Amino acid sequence: MALAEPVLLKRIPTPPWGDFADRKLVPYEQYVATGGYAALDQALAMDPKAVIEVVKASELRGRGGAGFPAGMKWSFLPPEDGGRRFLAVNADESEPGTFKDRVIIEYDPHLLLEGIAICMHACRLDTAYIYIRGEYHHQRHVLEKALREAYEHKIFGPGSRLGQINGRDVHCYVHRGAGAYICGEETALLESLEGKRGWPRIKPPFPAVAGAFARPTIINNVETLATVPFILERGADWFKSMGTPRPEGAPPTVPASYGPKLFGISGHVNRPGVYEEELGVKMSTLIEQHCQGMRHGKKYKAAIPGGISMGVLGPDEYDAMLDFDVGKKHNCLGLGTAGVIVMDEDTDMVAVARNIARFFSHESCGQCTPCREGTNWMYRILKRIEAGDGTTKDLDLLLEIAGSIGAMPGTTICGLADGANWAVRTILNKFWHEFESRVTKERYVSLAVLNTR
Amino acid sequence: MAWITKNSATMQIDRREEPYLSEALKAKLEQEVIPRFPTRQAATLPVLHALQEEHGWLPYQAIEEAAEFLQLPASRVLDTATFYEEFWLKPKGRYVIWICQSLSCELLGNRQLVEAVQRKLGIGPGQTTDDGRFTLMNVECLGSCGTAPCALINEKLHENLTVENLDRVLDSLE
Repeated sequence: MALAEPVLLKRIPTPPWGDFADRKLVPYEQYVATGGYAALDQALAMDPKAVIEVVKASELRGRGGAGFPAGMKWSFLPPEDGGRRFLAVNADESEPGTFKDRVIIEYDPHLLLEGIAICMHACRLDTAYIYIRGEYHHQRHVLEKALREAYEHKIFGPGSRLGQINGRDVHCYVHRGAGAYICGEETALLESLEGKRGWPRIKPPFPAVAGAFARPTIINNVETLATVPFILERGADWFKSMGTPRPEGAPPTVPASYGPKLFGISGHVNRPGVYEEELGVKMSTLIEQHCQGMRHGKKYKAAIPGGISMGVLGPDEYDAMLDFDVGKKHNCLGLGTAGVIVMDEDTDMVAVARNIARFFSHESCGQCTPCREGTNWMYRILKRIEAGDGTTKDLDLLLEIAGSIGAMPGTTICGLADGANWAVRTILNKFWHEFESRVTKERYVSLAVLNTR
Repeated sequence: MAWITKNSATMQIDRREEPYLSEALKAKLEQEVIPRFPTRQAATLPVLHALQEEHGWLPYQAIEEAAEFLQLPASRVLDTATFYEEFWLKPKGRYVIWICQSLSCELLGNRQLVEAVQRKLGIGPGQTTDDGRFTLMNVECLGSCGTAPCALINEKLHENLTVENLDRVLDSLE
């Protein structure tokens, strides 16, 4: 099972169909000459509801980490009431290990813009904000230039092909973030868009009902939107011919993992980069065929399946199938953003856990106490263990803290702490011996001994 | 990030005659940025970015002026400004070297880079050289894991860094 031809990366040279070195920006003319904006025209000829139905039928799941069915999200919008409705495009790609949206924005920005335009038509949204992380300077400039081209060619703006929506001209803007991981959480993104600190909101109300500026808002990841034009063009059945179907006998409410997916692979491999494969591809295939094996001929030891908040895959999970069900099968949180970080046999897992805990303690927004304090405690304990000053008690303490912070245990508003929780817990559980060998056994010194003179 | 404290009661704000938010910049923002959003507050990030681009950092006076422009209390704008890592409430060097310290970069040796810069420039993370040229910062994932280790120097991303080529890059900056 391998992808026959590139889909999302059709204009972006990628092995095995092309060479990373040949990647360059696809300008408007070239985009149109290679079939671009045809799907938009097709969508505009359709009833908006019919467009949503196609996306729904494709069972496209969000590519930003949570894997929520995009068509379902779109259908949650309340009926139009004449007021404004927004699209927030999540380009705040800051999960360590993730660099896939960047490739779309940097080389094929019109693909994203076409997806945005289709979504705005389908969901009757009048204004789109592309929330791009502050550190993506080059990508921001590329996107702004592409937007100018799109305005010139009447994709957006007064007199655009989309016509007026909600009685307004259709606009799309680039909105620059300012360096905060939490703003990738959808409601924190909205807060940040409104000019406030990026503190996640308590849900409900969900953004589809009351999102940006308390109006109905759709939030989608860059890759999700970039997939939409292909689904319209080639149909839901084509899309479902790729990936892994739902398990035999499972009800249709259980979402499957269909379609192509971008995998960003980094770490100890020979040729890291962003590749495209069907969902359900084996990690070993990605490493051996796409990345040309492990660096310096070392042995594989562990991997992060999709951004560090997903936890780790251990040495015996080299052949793990990377689809949305990877979490259930391999005791990790899930596929996440499919940013795979591969580690070789020389990797110190204590240092990996410490790095991850530091990330979360640094990026916790400070709103919920269990996350703000808990992530920092874990970081300090892991630093202690790494320095050789840890005790066996610390390991239990780590597991206890990890198990009690996050939205899943119900102690925080958003899932940031769940990321820290799963990462630390799975590393600890799958590499227990490594941690055990680094700590000293707790010595209980009895008072009787101390009191002896 | 969220818990920068300031000494409000005794704080003196350095003031200068000339406003940081010039009339020209105001007019530009009013025309290009304000109409994008249903509220003026939503323009906070773009206004702060514009101010910082022009002055290199955000003095308190600039925050006050931004607040007046956005028709908000200054505390609201300061609240937002202190939350985000990219806003500088104190002066920074002409070049800010952001070295990524997240997992992929650490696996591929970002520590040597930090140490090399420390040796070369004599500054630790968070510090600025005496001549005001360089500020060194540790930063979490820059989204360039496939070309790790990487560093951002002002707006330019440098990928696949080694101690040698980072050294060359630093030498090429004036």
